[in-house]
Order: sequence, then structure tokens, then C-alpha cells
Amino acid sequence: MRRFRRQHLLGTTALIVAAIAALLLHRAFHRTLPDYAFVTGWILFAAMLVLAVYNARKKLPFLPLGNSESWLQIHIYLGFFTVLLFFIHLNFRLPRGWLDISLASLFALVAASGVAGLFLSRILPRRLSTRGGEVIHEQIAPLRHVLKTESEMIALGPAASSPAVAEFYTRRLAPFFAGPKNAWAHLFESRRPVHSLLAELEDLRRTGSEAERGALEKLADLVRRKDGLDYHRALQLTLKLWLFIHVPLTYALLIFTLAHIAIVFAFSGGAQ
Amino acid sequence: MNPANPGDNPAFEPGNYARPNQNWTCGRATEGQPCRAGPDAKGRCGAKAECRPRLEIKPGQTKGRWHCTRPEACESGPLPDGRCSRPVARCSPVPTLRLWRARASLAAVAAACAALLICLGVPPWRGRFISPGQLSQPHSSAAFAALASTNHLGGGCAACHVAGNSGPRGLMARAARARPGMGDFHGLLTASAAAPTRMDAACLECHAGKNFHHPAAPAISCVFCHKEHHGAAMAAATDAQCDFCHGNAATMSAVSAMPRIHHFATDHPEFRFIAEKWRDPDTLQFNHQLHLTSDSIPKLPGGRKLDCAFCHQPDASGAFMRPVNFERNCRVCHSLQFDPQTPELALPHGSVRFVTAFLHSLPAQYARLAKREGAADSDAFVQHKLAALRSQFGSGAELERRVFFSTATVGPEEQIGTLSGATRAVFPGCAYCHEVKAGPEGPEVTKPLMRERWLPDAKFSHASHAGIACARCHDAVESRDTADIILPPRETCLECHSPRGGVAHSCVECHNYHNPAPTVAAR
Amino acid sequence: MPAIAAMLERPQRWDAAFSPEMDDAAVEALMATAPFRDMDAGKFPKRTPLRDILRNDTRIVNFRKGEIVVRQGDYGTSAFLILRGAARVVLRPDLPPSVLGRQARGKKNIFRALAQLWNGRRPPESFRCADLMPDSRIGARLEQERVRVFLQDVPRVLDQHRTEEMTAGDFFGEIAALSRMPRTSTVFADSEETALLEIRWQGLRDLMKFDDALKAHITRIYRERALASYLNATPIFRRLDKVQLGRVAEAVEFATFGDYDWSGDYKRLAQAGTVRPEREPVIVTEGDYPNGVVLLRAGFGRVSQKAGGGERTLNYIGAGQSFGLREIAHNWRKGANPVNFQYSLRAIGYAHVLVVPVPVMEEIVLPSVPASELPALIETADEGGPSAAPAQRAPREAVGAELLEFLTENRFFNGTATMMIDLDRCTRCDDCVRACASTHDNNPRFLRHGPVGGRVMVANACMHCADPVCMIGCPTGAIHRESFGGQVVINPATCIGCRTCFNNCPYDAIRMVEVRDETGEFMVDEEMKPILKATKCDLCVENAGGPACQRACPHGALTRINLNRLDALAGWLQK
Repeated sequence: MRRFRRQHLLGTTALIVAAIAALLLHRAFHRTLPDYAFVTGWILFAAMLVLAVYNARKKLPFLPLGNSESWLQIHIYLGFFTVLLFFIHLNFRLPRGWLDISLASLFALVAASGVAGLFLSRILPRRLSTRGGEVIHEQIAPLRHVLKTESEMIALGPAASSPAVAEFYTRRLAPFFAGPKNAWAHLFESRRPVHSLLAELEDLRRTGSEAERGALEKLADLVRRKDGLDYHRALQLTLKLWLFIHVPLTYALLIFTLAHIAIVFAFSGGAQ
Repeated sequence: MNPANPGDNPAFEPGNYARPNQNWTCGRATEGQPCRAGPDAKGRCGAKAECRPRLEIKPGQTKGRWHCTRPEACESGPLPDGRCSRPVARCSPVPTLRLWRARASLAAVAAACAALLICLGVPPWRGRFISPGQLSQPHSSAAFAALASTNHLGGGCAACHVAGNSGPRGLMARAARARPGMGDFHGLLTASAAAPTRMDAACLECHAGKNFHHPAAPAISCVFCHKEHHGAAMAAATDAQCDFCHGNAATMSAVSAMPRIHHFATDHPEFRFIAEKWRDPDTLQFNHQLHLTSDSIPKLPGGRKLDCAFCHQPDASGAFMRPVNFERNCRVCHSLQFDPQTPELALPHGSVRFVTAFLHSLPAQYARLAKREGAADSDAFVQHKLAALRSQFGSGAELERRVFFSTATVGPEEQIGTLSGATRAVFPGCAYCHEVKAGPEGPEVTKPLMRERWLPDAKFSHASHAGIACARCHDAVESRDTADIILPPRETCLECHSPRGGVAHSCVECHNYHNPAPTVAAR
Repeated sequence: MPAIAAMLERPQRWDAAFSPEMDDAAVEALMATAPFRDMDAGKFPKRTPLRDILRNDTRIVNFRKGEIVVRQGDYGTSAFLILRGAARVVLRPDLPPSVLGRQARGKKNIFRALAQLWNGRRPPESFRCADLMPDSRIGARLEQERVRVFLQDVPRVLDQHRTEEMTAGDFFGEIAALSRMPRTSTVFADSEETALLEIRWQGLRDLMKFDDALKAHITRIYRERALASYLNATPIFRRLDKVQLGRVAEAVEFATFGDYDWSGDYKRLAQAGTVRPEREPVIVTEGDYPNGVVLLRAGFGRVSQKAGGGERTLNYIGAGQSFGLREIAHNWRKGANPVNFQYSLRAIGYAHVLVVPVPVMEEIVLPSVPASELPALIETADEGGPSAAPAQRAPREAVGAELLEFLTENRFFNGTATMMIDLDRCTRCDDCVRACASTHDNNPRFLRHGPVGGRVMVANACMHCADPVCMIGCPTGAIHRESFGGQVVINPATCIGCRTCFNNCPYDAIRMVEVRDETGEFMVDEEMKPILKATKCDLCVENAGGPACQRACPHGALTRINLNRLDALAGWLQK
């Protein structure tokens, strides 16, 4: 952790220094520099491009373009800095025109999803590794299918002979095994749904016959394993889904930004 | 099954890799039975038959025989035409999350482009979409719209912006032609912010000319100071805009001897009338201290004590004071009666000739008075009055001399008027207040030079200072000379007009930029 | 050498004979030829008589002219004795890599690298036919279930390379077999009727042990060919002159411990869940009198110490590291109060060691080493009780006992570029796999999955082992080490899909894929059977920036790390 902490300290210090410098420059120049809004606009646009080009870097892993870790560090710190640049460009005022409002909202959404993603990326992996049962996201569905088939065999298969277990299975367990469940509970680290299911299983087991007990114990084991898969699916999906906001909206933001630039120049005092 | 051990996982066949790089997965992968071919890059199922049978032609045979090539040959064997008899059921490949994300990105791009094309392409929406904020009241008025539609640019945004009527494509063309242009970073950083732009032409369509407050001031664009789209009231110019020249040492040294000035509160010099010890050149004699403080000043009719407001009355706008006027402000006390016995008769004011004519026609004046008074014997009345005057002044010439030149209130040159009767103030002679000289054609009274404003270019309103006592700014009680200019020093203004005082203190609070203000005129 | 424990004899030693074809007649025939004719069968113990060794540990292989017997750079488990015919060893210059079945690969230039942008639409595992054509100077034929690679134009090879002929009675390949070093040169058959006796290394070891003449022969060539340069490169002998080095070489003993093909064995044992350090062959026992410094030349050793009822692993050592120097240096300096070995050393799987006896150390080596470079003295019992030396204790503490056991139990220490993923930082984004696929024609070459120890996952990616067991037995030389960087790579053109490497790899790092053509159609052979190729991570040997997976990890969670020594791992875990 030592290197990460040092990196973190360095990055945060650099960010704070850059922010202070930017604010001082803003104070010094925002009234005197000709075309100040154009200058901050171009700087903001350049920063946004650097942020966006990280995606291109990911598509070119075979070129020696620096490692992705450094890119991400730059992406994160520059991202925070760009938020400040954004406010400077707006001169710390709220936008009022429709185009400006849509631009600012897109920017806010992209930035907010980025910050959310950063937190998710720092929190969820640790939870996943603590829970264990490492599994590749694409393999969760096949594995769940295996568990479902196994559980069906135990409860309903030719060897099964207990109507009580079969009834319980079709009523309670079949929906559980049918697909991913309790995603929100897993996300908030609540084990209550699976505990109540296991408690019901346990109730049934206590009153069951020898054969039923065996079947129910096996089913409880399968439920736990299925729950592990659900947990991994919920968290791994969250780790992927935030990018569904961050990435597409970045494209929209870039297009709106280009339109903004064109309009600003077409409507500038110097437009011909 | 232990997920940590890939060997136990049906999905981790020893002969294959997990392939998150692909956009499609086999539709049957979720059931743990992906086919070995898998979908292609476009998401088409690649499933074919389980094997590709092999044709074996033995020597001497013509047709040959098809053989199954699976590791364990199936019972059914290949069909006669060489196809495998066990086709693999085809699936509908499933797009991966990654492909969904790519699709979402594509959708976002499409939506953004569509939104922009609609908002920029449909004229009534375009202006509202692009406008960065509310226009100032005059520029959003119907009158302006009517005016703008008559000029060569056209109405709407186009009244000011050349690109105002352009669609998406026109916008791009206009943007490309802008100066400084998109790629002209040098121009952006170095071009003078105040340089006139193409847009000034639009302003000048309605506003007559740019009048600059200093001939040496460079041509400055309208929009440098007048920021539009910032609400109903167009924002006033800020100190920064003045600072552009006045804060710039090079500019100032080239243009005038004025020092650099950034703010009124910080480095504005003392007002010139103080710094340069100006004196009021007026020849009229007036002692503010006497009039405001002396007990000898009688009360005004109605018992009111003489105060500032009696003489200094605001004009119609309330901004400035009307000039002091003899008839309105002085005569109530200084009634110009020359004959102590006849207070009803007063000298005319305003012209030496009238006074001379009046004195020369004294018998007629008395006769008219007698008639007004209804005296029974008009001639006797006149003779009586003239005799009284003659006994006091000796001769008509002496009377005339005393009327013009006497300044004495006591002694042999004693006042010609008295304090008793209808008059309130003594009238020793014109020279008591005026500068009177003896000229070749008789006495000459220098016309008083009443300066209405000492700071003619400054904006000031007495009305907005109504709550403040006059004496807070005008130290009239201490002034005994007409030459005193009783205006406050900068320090007095700063008591309020400074960050400390909390009242507005920008340059434009007092100073006018345009000189005179441009007018709006339709062409 | 009392401290060098007896080699572990496994009861199942001859459960599977080397070749079923070695019948009594063949053994009798062998017994009549040199050198077995001259061996004293009486010296062999009852459990491993000479005849049984010949029956179970040897086989006769026939080669035709031009067929390659051993390739330079290959790892082999057996030595050869020429029975009939002749063989030629290529001395100088070496045969070109493509003739040896290998692929000369350089870094991709910018255009070839950029061309990979369009890889995304390629079907998985698709190859151009041209890429799968081996060098035209070699041919291959299948003979008795064995693939034989032969040189198409022997006269030309003789013309261009200096070679030396070997005839009946000559041994070759014994050093590589015993010391697990790559073959130093290529040998091909030089007569149509060449019969070679292939002796697997266990047999060779026993023969050597009980026959003095053979032992003397092998020891002599070992010392002549391999030892001098090795000793020269060992830091502790750095200050010795040529004469002194020669004396050291004369005195050095060498021995091989454990099981040469431990990988398959290990896989079996691991699946049965019976891997126990106590069953590993002991090289040095804790508490024995130190009689020599152990230099590990190949393989790995586990350093352990008695603790409670069992033993705990303190560290493992790999090739190039030594064991026991501290004790011997201590005894040399404090002769009055000698200490015994403080730790035990066991071969993990397999270890080839050199032992420099104490007298040589004390007379020649230690006096040449400045006191500052000698290891610290050991605090003996009367000076404050025995304690683990800091140097040995540190790795256990830095890495953590749990992870150390995990790495040792799974034998991950073998890797020089093991893919480790810190699961506390990994967001499971698969950027590493995608980067891998982009650099390998749209094919991932590892699986982002594998055993997890603590917060670390060792993914199923080739570790580029220090001891590459996968390379043993490749019939065509397709799997080989890059001559420059030492990465273990597979040449798809010469890979025949025989699964040998796949079966050998204990880490599931090699995958057999069915190759396709550029349209996505599976390639088949004449019998319409799919063509298999072994594939694995090549550490982006052609990629200008190094391993794409490591560079593609946004969170610094993935690393390719050398686990031969623990310091790199300790550094990474601390970061």
C-alpha cells in the first residue's frame, strides 16, 4: 500500500497546487486577458480531450503509450481539475441558455458518474475478494445454470421422493435458482433474503425424514453457492454499469462541446 | 464444484479461453453448452454440423464412401451427400455487456446529433436554444424588433449576429471564418480585447456613432463594455474595462499625463479643483458664512430662518440645483430700495441702462407711484419726494454715483436704504455685491459668472443624496469668499463610496464614458 | 556426504517401464555390449539390479539419416548411448532457429502494431496457412506413434556447419539429463540404421551411482564442460583465480534430488490432496553437521525449520542461490564452538545441487572473501538461543506465512513472470484480457482466473518458469525459450498438437485450441480431424511495450512478477 499511498499523496498535493494556481490565474486574468472565456474554453476542451482519449489508449494496448495505471491516475486527477476548469470557464455562474444548460448538465453527469465509478472501483473489489468465490462475470450464468440443474435433480429428479421438498422447491427455490436475485440486498451487503430462505429450509429439514434431510442439506449448500454467484453478479455488474453512463454521455458531451465551440465562434464579435 | 478451480467449471474448457474481447457469446453459453464454433464478429451463429465427414475412395471405386470424423464415430454416420447427419442446433448469439455499452455510446452520439440538428435546424427554436441568456430590455422590446427588421441584417438574432439566421451548416462556415479564428490561439491571447469587431457595425445601425471621451482613446468595440445576454438590465461597465486603458501604464503615458488609476477607492487622485486650488472667478460678493450663521440676518417672511435650501433648489430632475437667481433668491431681502422714505420704489435689476434710465426718470416714477397710491396731489407728492432726495444726496449725479458705487453701510457713505420698513437688507449700492467700474459711458457692472457645475462630466444626483445633510459635503459655514469652491474633497465621497462605506464606487458611478451619450436613431 | 540425505526411493519406481518393448532378449543383448558388459552387476543393490534398470529405464530408438535426436536449447530427461550407426553433433555455427522448429520473432514495428487495430473482426484462433508452414529445410514423419523431425538436406548442413561424428559406444545428453540444463547442441542421426539406447534420467542416476567407471566418466565431462563456467559466475567464487577455481571444481560433488518429471506427478498428488512438505526429498537436515555449502544449480529448494510438531516454511531458494554458507562461515571463524545446519533444505519437486565441501571452502574460498561480505555470525544457544537468521525470516514476514505456503504448495515460485492479480484492487474489468487479445490476433492467451491465496490470485497464464517442465518432451521443438529474453514461446508452425506440454504444465497455463482459417472454418487434417495447437502467453515478446496485460491494468492490480525470489513479491505487496 505504500506506493499507492505515496502516489495518492503526490496526486492530491499536485491537484491542490494546480487548483490554487488556476484560481490565482483566474483572479489575475479573468478581467484583463482578452477573450478570457475563449482561453479557458480551449483549456477546458483540451483537458476534456485528454480525459476522453483514455478510452482510445485502452483500444491500443499494443502501442507503447504508457501503462493504463498511469493513465487512470492522470484521468482521475485531471478529471477533478477539469471540474474546477469548468467552473472557471463558467465564471462561477450558472448557465442560462438552453444549449449551455444541456452542456453543463452533460458535463455534470459525466463528472458525477466518474466520481461514483472511482468510489465503486475502490470499494467493491475489496468486498468481492473478502467474500471469495472468485468467478468471471460471463461465467456466472453458466454456473447458475449448473446449480439450477443440480438443485432440480435433487428436488424433482427421478431420485427425489419427497413431495414436501418438491413443493418447497417449486414454491420457493425454483424462482430463486431461475435467475439473478437480491442484487440490491447484495449491493448493500444485506444477507437477509438468503438467510430467510435458509431459515425456511432449516425449518423444513428439522421436521423432515432422513432422506429429506439429506436432500435439503444439499439444497441449502446449493442455495449458498447460488447466493455467492448472485453477490458476485451484483457487484461485478455495478462495477461495469457505471460506465454505461460515463462513456456514452462522454460522447454526447463531446458532440455538444463541438457544437458549442462552433456556435461560439459563429456568434463571436469577430464572426464574418 | 469449486469456482476457484477452473477445471471444475464447465465454462472453462481446457481447450478454450474466456474471450471477453468478443462482442457476441453463444446463445447456449448460459446453459453451459456453448458450441465449439461460436458466433462470428457480426453475431451470426457459426454452428454447423458436429463433424466434417471424410470421403474415402478406395482404388477401383468410383464413388467412394463418407466417413464420420468424430473421435468416436456416430452410429448414424454421414448422409449420402457427405453432410453430417447431426447438425448442431443453431442459437441466437447474445450480445455481451460490452457490445451493449458500445450500442449505448452509439445511441448517445445519435441522440446528441439529432438533438443538435433539430434545435439548430428549426429556426424558431434555434435562437432560443443558442441564446446564452436573457437580452436587455431595450433589445428584447417590440420596438427594437421592428427597428431591426428594417435594417440590412434582419430580425431576431441576426439583428446583431451575422450567423443569426444560419442553419447548422452555415454556423460551421461562419465559425470557420471568424477572426480571430478557431485555431488562432496567438490571436486569442494577444488581440486587443477592446479592438472593434464586426459586431460593432450592428450596434451602429441604431446607435449614432461611438463618441469617445478622449480623442486619443483607441477605437473600442461596443461589446467590450456592453455585455449583452446578461438579463433585462444591461450590465454597467466595470472598473476592469476602464482599467484596460487607465490601469495600463504604457497606454496612459502615451496618451495623457494622468496617473494610472485602477479604482476610485484605491488610487484615484484628489479632485482637481482641490489639488490645483481652483478659485471661483465670479465677481459677485457673497459670504456663505454670514448668510448661514450671522444673527444679523433677519428671518425670512413667515419666520423661517435662512438656510441652504432657500437659495439652492433642485431642478426638475432633482439631480442638480437650479442656479441662484436674484429675483427668486436675493430680492426677498435685497430689495434694491434707494429711497429710505419710499420703500415701495425699488431699482430695477439686471441692467445698468435700466437703472440709469430709472434714475433719470425719477419724477415720472414717483408720479406713477402717486397714482398707484391714490395720492390726491400727484405733483406735490413728486416734488416732496424729490426734495427729500435732494436734501439727502445733494444732487441727482451724487445719487446715481452712490447707487452704483457705494459699498458702505455706515459712515458718510451711509447706506441709501434702511433696515426699517419693508426692506430687510441694506442697499448701499450695486457695488455692494457686484463689481462696478466707471466706464467712459457711465458705470459698468461686471456680469456675474455663475458656474452651474464645477465637474461637468461627472454624474451626480442630489436627489439620491437627499438623506444627507448639505453640510456633510458642502462646508459652506466656513466659506466667506465667493472664490471658495464649496465642493467636498475625495475623502468625503470615500466615506460612503468605497468598499468600506459599502456604497457603489465604480468608475461609472461618476464618470461618463461617452461624451456626449450616443443617441438612438432609426435610419 | 552424510549431510546429503539418501535419495528418496519410491516404491512405485518401476510401475511404468520406459518402454514395453524392452524384453529379456533385448536386455540380454544390451548386457553383451559395452559399457554394460564391463559393469559389475554385483555392485548393484538387490532392489535395483542392473538388468532391471536396463529393462525399465531404457529403450532402443531407431533413427534414419538426418533425423534430429536432440535439439540445442531443448530440455530433455534422458541421455543417449549409440548402439549402432552414427550420429553427428553440430558444433559451430548453430543451426538456425527455424530449422530447430522455432520461430525467430522480433518486436513489431509501428505499422504492424497498428495493423492489430483491425484484429477485432478476426475469428478466434484463426491462422493464415502460410503461418503454419514449418521451415522447408526440415520435414516430419510419424514413426511408431512418434514424430520424427528430419533435416531435408544433410550434405548442406555438413557443408555449412562444423560437426563431429559420434559412433557406437558414445554417450551424449547425459549432462542435460542429470542437471536439467538445456541441451547445449543439436545431434542428428548420420546413418540410415542408427540405433540409440535412450536412458531416462532415473536409470542414468542409478547406473552412475553403482558403476564407478560411468560415474567417473560423467563427473569428468560434467566438470569439464559445465562446472567451470558456472562456478565462475557464482558470486562467492568471484575472487578466485583459474587455478583455485580448478581445485574447487575438482572437489565439487553434484547430485540430483526429487523427481525429474515432477510436474505430472505433482498434478496427480495435488488433485488427491496429498501434497505434504514432509514427503519431499531432503537435501539437508536441520541439526546435521555442516559439511559443505549447497549451491542450487537448477530446480527449487524449500528452507524450513522445525516448529512444534511439524516444520514451517521460511523461504524457498531457486537456481543460483546457496544454502549453508552462513553456518560454514560461522564455524570457520569461530572454530571452537561449531554450529550445525540451522534449517532443513528439501527439493521441491526437483533440485540439482552442487556441494562444495568444507575443507575446500575453508582453504580456498572463505579466505578470499572479505569479512564484510561474509554472512553474519549465528547466535548460538549459549549466546542467547537459536534464532532464525533475519535473511531467512524476512520473506516469511514480508509476504506472510499464508501466501508463502500458498505459493510453495502450488509451486508458483517457479515462475519468472507469474501473473498475479491483487483482488483488492482488481475491478474485474477484463481490460487485461482484451489487451492480451488485441496483441495476439484477437485471441486471449491466458485466463483471468486461477487459484487465490489471500488477496492474490495467480491467474492461469504462463509463468515462464525457471524450470519449464512444459518443454520436456516436445517432439518438434515448437515450445522453446526465446534466445534473447528467455520467454517460453510456442511456434504454431511446428506445434503438432500432441498435448505433451499441455499435460506437463502444472499451472493450467497452456491451452489446446482448434485452429481455424481466416474465414473462421476449422482447419482439419487429411482425416478431417481438427488441428490442435498449444497456445499460451508469450509475454508479448513481439510487443514493443512489454506485456500488454500488465500495462492495460488501470488499477495497478495486475503484475507479471518473478517469484524465483521473494523480494520482488514482497515489494509488490507492500506497494
